[in-house]
Amino acid sequence: MSALSPRGSISGTSDVAVDFEDSLRDLSRNDRYEIGNLTSIAREYTEYAQAISRVLENHIKTTAPNKKLPALYVLDSIVKNVGTPYTVYLGRNLYSTFMEAYTLVDGMTRRAMDSLLKTWKEPVPGSMDHRPVFPPEIVRPIENALIKAKTAALQNQRQVQQPPYRSTPTPPQYNGQYAVPPTPNQHEQYPQYVYGNSQAAPPQQQWQPAMPPPTPQQQPPFLSLNPAARPMIDVSTLRADISALISRLQMAFAASPSDQGLITQLHALLKLKQVVDSGAVPDAALQEVRTKVTALAAVAPDPRRSPQPPVPTPQWQATPAMQQPAPYQPPASVSQAYQYPGSGTLPFAQPAASMLNHTAPPLLAPNALNGLQALLANGQKPSTPQMRTAVPALQNMPHTQLNNVQNNITAAPTSNTADLLAALSKSGVLSSLPSTTPQTAPAQNSTLPPPNTSSTTSLLASLQSILPPSQNSTPTTHAAQPAGTQSKAAIPISNSALKTFRPELVQALYDNQPNQCSTCGRRFLATEEGRAKKQRHLDWHFRTNQRLADPNASRGQHRQWFLDEVEWISIPEFDPSTASAADTTAAATVQKKRGAQDQYIRAPAGITRLTCTVCQEEMKSSYSEELQDWVFTNAVYYNGKPAHATCVEEMKKPWGGGGGGSLAAALSMTGQRQRSATPESSLGKRKAEGTLAGNGARLKTG
Amino acid sequence: MALPGFNLPGLGIRSTSTPQVTGTSAPDVEQPSRREELAPQSEWRFEAGFIQSYSVRLVSGHAELFGVELAQNQTHNLSGLKGAVFTWQGCELEVIGEAESEYSAQETEYATEWINLHGMLESARDGASEGPRVLVVGPDSTGKSSMVRSLAAWAVRQGRAPTVVHLDPREGLLAPPSSLTAVTIVSQMEVDGWGISPMTGPSLQPVRSPLVYHFPYATPSERPNAFKAIVTRSALTTLNKLEEDPLAKQSGIIIDTPGGLNDPKSNYDMIHHIISEFSINLVVALGSERLYNDLNRRYTSKSPEDAIAVLKLAKPGGAVERDNAYMKQLRARQVRQYFFGSKESLNPHSHSIPTNDLTIYRAKPASSDAALPSFGAEDEDDYDPAATSTSSSNTMYEKVAPSLAMTGALIAIKFCSSNSEEATIRDSAIMGYLYVADVDEARKKVRFLAPHPQRWGDRALVWGTWPEAAADLVR
Repeated sequence: MSALSPRGSISGTSDVAVDFEDSLRDLSRNDRYEIGNLTSIAREYTEYAQAISRVLENHIKTTAPNKKLPALYVLDSIVKNVGTPYTVYLGRNLYSTFMEAYTLVDGMTRRAMDSLLKTWKEPVPGSMDHRPVFPPEIVRPIENALIKAKTAALQNQRQVQQPPYRSTPTPPQYNGQYAVPPTPNQHEQYPQYVYGNSQAAPPQQQWQPAMPPPTPQQQPPFLSLNPAARPMIDVSTLRADISALISRLQMAFAASPSDQGLITQLHALLKLKQVVDSGAVPDAALQEVRTKVTALAAVAPDPRRSPQPPVPTPQWQATPAMQQPAPYQPPASVSQAYQYPGSGTLPFAQPAASMLNHTAPPLLAPNALNGLQALLANGQKPSTPQMRTAVPALQNMPHTQLNNVQNNITAAPTSNTADLLAALSKSGVLSSLPSTTPQTAPAQNSTLPPPNTSSTTSLLASLQSILPPSQNSTPTTHAAQPAGTQSKAAIPISNSALKTFRPELVQALYDNQPNQCSTCGRRFLATEEGRAKKQRHLDWHFRTNQRLADPNASRGQHRQWFLDEVEWISIPEFDPSTASAADTTAAATVQKKRGAQDQYIRAPAGITRLTCTVCQEEMKSSYSEELQDWVFTNAVYYNGKPAHATCVEEMKKPWGGGGGGSLAAALSMTGQRQRSATPESSLGKRKAEGTLAGNGARLKTG
Repeated sequence: MALPGFNLPGLGIRSTSTPQVTGTSAPDVEQPSRREELAPQSEWRFEAGFIQSYSVRLVSGHAELFGVELAQNQTHNLSGLKGAVFTWQGCELEVIGEAESEYSAQETEYATEWINLHGMLESARDGASEGPRVLVVGPDSTGKSSMVRSLAAWAVRQGRAPTVVHLDPREGLLAPPSSLTAVTIVSQMEVDGWGISPMTGPSLQPVRSPLVYHFPYATPSERPNAFKAIVTRSALTTLNKLEEDPLAKQSGIIIDTPGGLNDPKSNYDMIHHIISEFSINLVVALGSERLYNDLNRRYTSKSPEDAIAVLKLAKPGGAVERDNAYMKQLRARQVRQYFFGSKESLNPHSHSIPTNDLTIYRAKPASSDAALPSFGAEDEDDYDPAATSTSSSNTMYEKVAPSLAMTGALIAIKFCSSNSEEATIRDSAIMGYLYVADVDEARKKVRFLAPHPQRWGDRALVWGTWPEAAADLVR
């Protein structure tokens, strides 16, 4: 932006570029019309291609991550629809433009960018030209860099898993930093061997995360990766541990649905998870929760050996989007060249839940759908982990039925597999699935002590006792929402919840509203509505400043009387600085209903005093906020001359009911003309002003 | 300290890419200006006098003053304020002018508590049709009003419309002292105030329409029954307004109270009255362990449906006592601003009215020690503050003839006719204040300064014992 200081610089080039930049800046979502518009600007001004290309590159570099993709689409649209010379100019820095954006955006955008990159290797669809959009020597370095990054991430992930499988119940120490209980991620030791391969693999190995990323709930997608340095780490690992434990218990439960102890444990754990997720746990209690979870993990049943029907799918494809700690995201589009392993150099953690299931509360959904995924994996061969595309049954299902599934899942109170199954069969989705699934053999957990139900329940009871009761059961949602969305974790009203700092609260006040007014610091959302509001707000600043600068307007101002109770109740407060025309008129109509007193005439220039033709008293002009003009309040033109509206009203009364008198007709004519605001009245006004201007002149000379 | 959520890449870009030209250039060029670097979650505390100019400008980063974000590169005049510019993310400030005291402070745990309280209120507002109704209590100088400001400002920044009810007659809100104000806030708050009540012409500050009641005593305990009656009335109107406005209803109410309210001897009678009249569902006790415990015992032991949550917040390290001299100056400034405006200059109007046309009620001092000697006439008053409601309502006002003693006093115009019952006069809202500029006993005329050119008609006028006469308003 700084390279293109506006107007003052050399030539017309900058003007085109500045305009282009302005339009770009307004582009915050994938708006086909806007992108098309920008493309046609680029087409018209090919002579400024270099400047425009630089503006575009710059914009992609500097704009907020959530605006990068639309900007990249502009680039894409230009190179595809206009071609040279843009391909040349934009191709020069394409590597840095693309890669810099890529490192900053979230997983969804990355997938979109991957698809974008792929199309650049191909010729423009429907074009006669068989050459690819960008020459291979430009695209290939990008591809290579991406592959390298992914491989690095993959290796990283493998290293994390290096500690070999241990069948002891004691939690192994990872990196010596924090303890991770023997969660099912241990049996993730060989997932990469089946990568891209259609070997049979036990499903739960597929849908368990290899290594939960540090903060699956809280971390914004584009946070720099430095988990150990952050104070949140304790909570997030704990959270991951709890999630892992829950899914483990769920598996055990699937194996033996009649186990009451398991149900209690699951209940308690889900509650615990909810409380921890909501962040309502004081630091001191966290430590305690942690130890207990670890202890519980040690005795919990581990169904990792439960035999499951083999599924002939590549391992990565079965990874469900729903499991929040999923370290890599499955592709959103069906055909996809890459997948995203690990979180080493490129952080991929993101709230995938929203992609799949907006209606179900995320707290329940991960587990519920987690189970669902397993079932689906058993029954059908999923082609991608996206639920709707995963299973033909789901894919071909009408939308209403899908909702039905979701509702039923949501309704399942504990989100355990049994309830889920019941819910699913109720919605008729699972009728085609083998009914044997829940009856799979119980977990073969010979290496672990048998679950001691009584001890674990007491453990959980003590866990609950040290936690503040969660009063608000609003489902927790991911804090790492794209800027602008308002969802946030519910905070229970309790003294203990007061102490922990919640960055998301500050974020909601600042980062989620990136669009700031530079005059008063007020912030707006980065949405369409937010921008419109800001536009109105800036207009309001402008108007106000203009009026304040006007020496005529600022004299004679005074405070209004306070409202009485009835007015105060009935007149809604509205914000004039962002109000749209509709709001203003709505507010104005409320005030309009006041009768004769509120009739006014605009003061002709230079006239501040008039005399009422009826009562001969003086009338003073005042400034009307509403009209932004000087007016005589309580005034009408009576037979072409100004008079108090109330006086005229008084005069009309005796004749008011009369049917025919020409005087009454004339009077009512005058009255109507003044009261209506239709074009007709402007005629009347002009005429009246004419007479009045004559009056004024007479006043001046006389 | 690296805070999660703050090192977003977009942030750095925004804050560095647009260095702007200062909108309002520094008022005094000779004033020494200095830069202060603030770490994340620290604050710049200041006590600025009324006379010297004192202003800050945000050079980089983000900062807020009691919940209101400072715009970058705008100079904010803070003279006459005691407060703290707080930063969540760290910032650089330019400070211009001299203050009585100023320093940067790192012990800001209070801010975490406050914003968490805000988060709790937000959680309670989400999806609910009826928002939280919060009562803030605590001794004087524990940051109650500052917290109410912050909570309101934060709520507005998230698109809410909280209704603030201000029950401290010592200090006005959008009105001179002795006002009890209720106002629904829909637009961004001012850095140094609540905005301005409606006026003609353009205004820099956001315009808000308050509903104003009149309690012409320094503390509620002087006339507990009158105070309660006004609370009842304002609760009725406020709750009615919320019914008309779904957004306001969802955003809830925040009530600020004077420190004198929490008197253990009266068994927190007045707090209880406010709680029941406004159907409070969250009480926040600031800076008093005892108050918290007493209230907690009283309200949380109830049955679960009508239990009221009681929270305990610590007194912020920066909360300072505002001495009498300061408060007096503050009141004088509020009265002056009511007639003459602050940022916008207003023209009050002068009305000269024959004494015979006036009906003025004198609010009698509640006890002998509260009577200000300057008013003289009420020497015989030997009022018992513990008097029953009937006797107190009978003797609250008396009709007086305008006298020289009235000069400089603030007179409230009630929304009721001059011959109304005393209870009606007591409970009515007010349409404005008059300032007695001059009493000409010889010619039997009183000259008033009124904010508005229009006469007020036949309305009851109340001359309060509070606030004290401001002699220097007009010469």
